[in-house]
Amino acid sequence: MKTKLSLLSAALLTASLTLTPAISQAAIPMAVDGESIPSLAPMLERTTPAVVAVAVEGTHVSKQKLPDAFRYFFGPNAPQEQVQERPFRGLGSGVIIDAKKGYIVTNNHVIDGADEILIGLHDGREVEAKLIGADAESDIALLQIKAKNLVAVKRADSDELKVGDFAVAIGNPFGLGQTVTSGIVSAMGRSGLGIEMLENFIQTDAAINSGNSGGALVNLNGDLIGINTAIVAPGGGNVGIGFAIPANMVNNLVDQIIEHGEVRRGVLGVSGRDLTSELAQAFGLDTQHGGFVDQVMEDSAAEDAGIKAGDIIVSVNGRKIKSFQELRAKVATMGAGAKVKFGLIRDGDSKTVSATLGEASQTTEASAGAVHPMLAGAALENGDDGVEITDIAQNSPAAASGLRKGDIIVGVNRSSIDNLNSLKAKLKEQQGTVALKIQRGHSSLFLVLR
Amino acid sequence: MAIKDTLLYVGKAVTFGLIMAAVFLFVTPLLTDNSSSNLFFQKRGDNGFELSFSKAVRRAAPAVVNIYSLSVNRNQPLNSGSLQGLGSGVIMSKEGYILTNYHVVKKADEIVVALQDGRKFTSEVVGSDPVTDLAVLKVEGDTLPIVPINLGVPAQVGDVVLAIGNPYNLGQTITQGIISATGRNGLSSGYLDFLQTDAAINAGNSGGALIDTSGQLIGINTAAFQIGGEGGGHGINFAIPIKLAHSIMGKLIKDGRVIRGALGITGEPVGPVIAQILNLPDLTGVVITGVDPHGPAAQAQLQARDVITKYEGEAVPGVEMLMDRIAESTPNKQVTMTIIRKGKVYDVPVTIGENVVEETD
Repeated sequence: MKTKLSLLSAALLTASLTLTPAISQAAIPMAVDGESIPSLAPMLERTTPAVVAVAVEGTHVSKQKLPDAFRYFFGPNAPQEQVQERPFRGLGSGVIIDAKKGYIVTNNHVIDGADEILIGLHDGREVEAKLIGADAESDIALLQIKAKNLVAVKRADSDELKVGDFAVAIGNPFGLGQTVTSGIVSAMGRSGLGIEMLENFIQTDAAINSGNSGGALVNLNGDLIGINTAIVAPGGGNVGIGFAIPANMVNNLVDQIIEHGEVRRGVLGVSGRDLTSELAQAFGLDTQHGGFVDQVMEDSAAEDAGIKAGDIIVSVNGRKIKSFQELRAKVATMGAGAKVKFGLIRDGDSKTVSATLGEASQTTEASAGAVHPMLAGAALENGDDGVEITDIAQNSPAAASGLRKGDIIVGVNRSSIDNLNSLKAKLKEQQGTVALKIQRGHSSLFLVLR
Repeated sequence: MAIKDTLLYVGKAVTFGLIMAAVFLFVTPLLTDNSSSNLFFQKRGDNGFELSFSKAVRRAAPAVVNIYSLSVNRNQPLNSGSLQGLGSGVIMSKEGYILTNYHVVKKADEIVVALQDGRKFTSEVVGSDPVTDLAVLKVEGDTLPIVPINLGVPAQVGDVVLAIGNPYNLGQTITQGIISATGRNGLSSGYLDFLQTDAAINAGNSGGALIDTSGQLIGINTAAFQIGGEGGGHGINFAIPIKLAHSIMGKLIKDGRVIRGALGITGEPVGPVIAQILNLPDLTGVVITGVDPHGPAAQAQLQARDVITKYEGEAVPGVEMLMDRIAESTPNKQVTMTIIRKGKVYDVPVTIGENVVEETD
């Protein structure tokens, strides 16, 4: 009898001791009715409160200017210029990344042009949000709300992702309310799609639709791996091809926006192209993926680091890169002043160099449009006294505004500016019509941007 | 005394329990390791086991190639070819044989095969079969990646599958879903026996791989259910089972085409009404409804209303089985069919003809 009892208690003890490790071993909860059926529900319970709905209201202003010929013809009685204001509303998603400070990440295209941004929290609260900063080229914006008891998402190292890993999209498609869809990582490092200026997307087959923009792509632990941004949609809806901005890129951008209120684009100072099989063959390389350096700019971070034309850049901070586009997106979003290690192949030998990224003193023709829509088509560069227009595209908005090559922008309205950053800051403050003070040769003049 | 007894009793139990627990703790990791070597569980970092298909992807994805078919502009023959078709293909053997869809490479003047490691080859069509929409290409290359094949276990409804291909020429893309149905036929011809899946398949995925969670090839992705002009997105996609694709591939490599036997009849299953009219013992067999006057059946004096009950001694349960058997028979081979005509049973020798399929546009 005693033996039986002691055996029984021993068995009980054994059972109680062994149950614990068996449960804690699984990464996601298993076992339903003794069958191992995985469910995302416990992970989602923790994660979904960190994903919010973003509703925006604003007005698109378009102005129709009367041609000068008509103005002359009608004289002083000429009709005033026509201003069309079209109110718009938009819906998207956002992700709380800092519960204490109320920081929310979303896509720039969700909040672009909004006068009012309203956040719908998971628990039903509606809070007005402030725009902290945005980057049009990478399509990331940072908002802030004042609210208590927020839940933030943890951020995963998106460079650790592998094709085939599970991915879960959380967002607010078609304004239906919070929706969770699942899929896998279909591809990594997708670029060259022409969706954004800077692309380094995670591709997923989790269903993403209109309204999912700015929402979360998480792994099975509920950690953020990306911000859902775009889809390929030949018929308007999801076909299993969606794109998310990787969490690591988001981290870099958000850090810069928090620190500076804007993204300070890092510049390496190389131009190049994708490594092709032909190039690889010509240079006798084993590898087929990387960025081939055509040219190194003078006095650039790349020159300081000792990168030379003909080098093949194969990794950034130890992470392999696939294409020149991916290299460009990574460098541009790392921020000026960042110390970056580049893996190179030169003359068949691998080597690593470190570079301190420079700050973009020159915007490209396309990115001037991000400074102000009417500056689109101008190449801007920091000059001695202001911002110099080094080039201007014909028939561009900048040319139509009356700007010419060689002009130096020295002021906005009544305040003077001395570099690109202060120009950007001043233009951001101004609403509506802006007068630029221009130094042209020995004369100075004002040009009005509408 | 009673206290000592109790202590001793408890002590014994505790000691025994601890020893058992120690043994169990030692053994469990081994046990769980084994049970967790489930197809897509894998050890990743310090987080323990994590669900991912990355292992399966690593095994199969390098063998899935992008296929670009170019056509030369007849008016400007000096211009380089323009892209006429986009698809995917699967490298099946180290000799460089690639399975793809016939519709990906038809009407192509030049076919370019691009591997995931960046290598590009121009390729020739070894053979094609419009009936099953399959084609075999060949490339000459060293150390070609090959896909593992699962010919043994047929896919079942509910199995998790991955589709690998190059949709819209975005670059290699892996999508995931399940087998939604098996044995789907009647989509284009009686010879096909599709797998249906909800893994996303789009333009450019055609000819690509459908694999299981261990990375083995189970099908060739072929078609997406379309409404109007819009492709994809409905979660209803079709793949040719690997068993069929593999046997067609063997025939294409051997003969450059699939030689199918033909009988030259139309027929239908025996229904209760027909069984009663023709006074048949049961509902097995195929009743002939029409005979091609120049076909092998007419030569063998077969007529409408004859009921074929056996093919080479094997009972004929229905139309599909008879079609399969005839198609698999070599032309000019003589076979024996058992028929029932006017209530009497005859054995009829028939010389099988060839089924010549016109290439379709």
